[in-house]
Amino acid sequence: MTRDLVRRLLLVVPTLCGVLVAAFLLLDVAPGDPVQAMVGERADSATIVRLRADLHLDDPIPVRFGRYVAGLLHGDLGRSYITGRPIARDLAERFPKTAQLALAAMSFAATVGITLGVIAAIRPGGWADRLALLAAYVGVSFPVYWVGLLLVLLFAVTLRWLPPSGSGGLAYLVLPAATLGMRSVAVLARMTRGAMREALASDFIRTARAKGASERVVVLRHALRNALIPVITVLALDTGNYLTGSLLTESIFAWPGLGRYVLTAIEKRDLPAVQGAILFMSVVFVLVNLFADLLYAKADPRIAHD
Amino acid sequence: MPRFRHFLSILPSLVACGGEQRAAVAPLAYYESYDPRSLDPALSTDVPTGEMVTLAYDGLTRFDVNGRLEPALADRWTADPRGLRYVFHLRPGVRFSDGTPVTPASVRSSFLRVLDPRSTGGRAWPLLPINGARDYAAGTATDVAGIELLGDSAVALTLEQPLAVFPKFLAMPVASVVALRPGNEVETIGTGPWRLSGWAHDDALHFARNPGYWDGPAQAESLVVRIIPDQLVRAAELEAGRLDVVEVPFGETAAWRARHPQWLQEKPALRDVYIALNNRRGPLRDVRVRQAINYAVNVPEILSAVYGGRGIRARGAIPPSLAGSDTTRAGYEYDPARARQLLAAAGFAGGVSLELWRAADNETLGRVAQAVQADLDQVGIRVTLVARDASSQRAAARAGNADMAILDWWADYPDGDDFLFPLFSSTSFGAGGNYSFYADPVTDSLLAAARRTQNDAARESLYRTIDERVYRAAPWLYLWFPVDLWAESPRITGWDLPVIFNGQRWTGVRRAPLHPPS
Repeated sequence: MTRDLVRRLLLVVPTLCGVLVAAFLLLDVAPGDPVQAMVGERADSATIVRLRADLHLDDPIPVRFGRYVAGLLHGDLGRSYITGRPIARDLAERFPKTAQLALAAMSFAATVGITLGVIAAIRPGGWADRLALLAAYVGVSFPVYWVGLLLVLLFAVTLRWLPPSGSGGLAYLVLPAATLGMRSVAVLARMTRGAMREALASDFIRTARAKGASERVVVLRHALRNALIPVITVLALDTGNYLTGSLLTESIFAWPGLGRYVLTAIEKRDLPAVQGAILFMSVVFVLVNLFADLLYAKADPRIAHD
Repeated sequence: MPRFRHFLSILPSLVACGGEQRAAVAPLAYYESYDPRSLDPALSTDVPTGEMVTLAYDGLTRFDVNGRLEPALADRWTADPRGLRYVFHLRPGVRFSDGTPVTPASVRSSFLRVLDPRSTGGRAWPLLPINGARDYAAGTATDVAGIELLGDSAVALTLEQPLAVFPKFLAMPVASVVALRPGNEVETIGTGPWRLSGWAHDDALHFARNPGYWDGPAQAESLVVRIIPDQLVRAAELEAGRLDVVEVPFGETAAWRARHPQWLQEKPALRDVYIALNNRRGPLRDVRVRQAINYAVNVPEILSAVYGGRGIRARGAIPPSLAGSDTTRAGYEYDPARARQLLAAAGFAGGVSLELWRAADNETLGRVAQAVQADLDQVGIRVTLVARDASSQRAAARAGNADMAILDWWADYPDGDDFLFPLFSSTSFGAGGNYSFYADPVTDSLLAAARRTQNDAARESLYRTIDERVYRAAPWLYLWFPVDLWAESPRITGWDLPVIFNGQRWTGVRRAPLHPPS
């Protein structure tokens, strides 16, 4: 198990190197110019030339890449072209906010999605089943932006129960978490239902019932535990996605997370900020997936690691 | 389901629990659409940064909400008859937020910071007219000869050539007078009506009033500036009572006029919406083709149908509220037949094909571009729309790689010069503002003459002549001057819609007295 973990951790390194190179090359060929964003309108050409030279933008790409990697090896993500602030500090400020929103969204999605799925599986065709089906359609097919705005109008403007946007107390989390988690609710409900139906029809459930286990024990301990294995995978993948920031949800709800940081950086062609954010997100994503695999093995001892 | 309802009804109290101890009066609440670059005036290149710098700093001069030039840290100034040497007399007794007095040396060091060749600000242009400033910014001189300290109460600025609008340049945020915190080379402090008390990036900037502000302290104790990217959400925040002013979203114009007419403030903005026609590309080199485009598009219809009627038809580049503007000029009335004749006369009877670049994230201008495309198609001008993100669109237009680009131009300083010199001088091609690459030696010499002319009436007449001359050459498809429409919450009084981004300091704004419960 430990050897396996070490091996997997080592495999992360080439993955991240690949991300680094790909991101650097893509940003290089992308149109737009960071200096244009720095100088704004009415710039004089002498200033533009000087700033390009200061930022070494005209150096050959291998030279710039080498300089960037050298900085990384010293633990330095560099400074934003636009604000001059250290990028590592910017990311450290935003990640907790993104993590908070991701965990809230996943808790919401897991609770609602799995519950709906289980109830739907116990009584197929019943009200919960139909509700789960509806939730799945709505969650998958309605655009996040539209649902987010609708929630704002209903709960913040009409009913005035919740703040429309911003960050602060628990109440600020409700609408963005529901919006972000909506898609996962849909997927989780359908997956749980399917897996539960399959599990409930298998032999070991008949055995459990035959030896007199209560329906509650049958459903929750025997069926659900087995049904959860694919569900955990989806949960983990979604968590990894959400932890890297959610562009739309964060923008709608003015949530100060990673998604908005990277969006602003892209709009301004703030190359080191985009590069740093991509690298950081890749690390988070890879680690979450690694963690999910380990959890998977724990939930299902049949999955052998070496 | 009464129980569920009960649960939700406690949610608002959770909001209050999460916050700090409630102040006696809620802070004034304004917004920006994205996090400002910095609160260092030297880095002020965009509107959000400029607005925030305006709250915390003063320059030698400033603009009021209606865009009039006013004395600020200089309580008066004089210019020599040629407009070459200006003497600014400092207002006595003004202090920075750390208590140190503002001196002529502070003015000099603030300007040198901006011009410093190591600065990454990139927007030194308001100070470049000072004699020697260009050399200093290029790193080839160690001082700026044109800045002269006159004792401890005045500073003289000598320019490289006469420039009548120079005092307006000094009202730009980048020309703010700053002090550096002792032992801190980075953090600047100012003399403005507000002091930054906290900044959670991408979330909010918190300001506390400067109790010793030279122009009288702000009426409210505190001001919060929230960062909210989405315009519909901002409107929702105003309706929920959590923002005090918002710009009314374009798609919501009719709804807000019907729902909250008493909240609205409307003013012609110092802004142009136009399509730059690249005067150096293909068929657009021919003035008849450019005029044909102006005749072929039904501007009033697009203005009312697509832009909510929130604009004044442009017959020139100078907005209506500025001296030199003329919105009654005989212009290009909608006349497709005339457009076809002009195209045929130019040798394009079979039509032409052009690309129109638009910024994909600006939906309103995107719809305008579609309407223009449809009108031009009627006269045989086949337009391909090219949607790119704003940065790429600007880059293409600046490099001269776009036939046409739909753009807007925001005033830096309220003067006809700002709507002529950057936009039509052959010295400001591309990044300088001249996206149409219009070049005309007569226009250039008239522009230079206007800059030298100290007499306001004579300068106004020159502006009108230049605007007319350029209009006839049709370097743009002239569209309109937007009219700003903002909503002010009934929870405040004393806010006036500024015509220029740095014209509102929030000092006269306060919470409206609450109506006693009846």
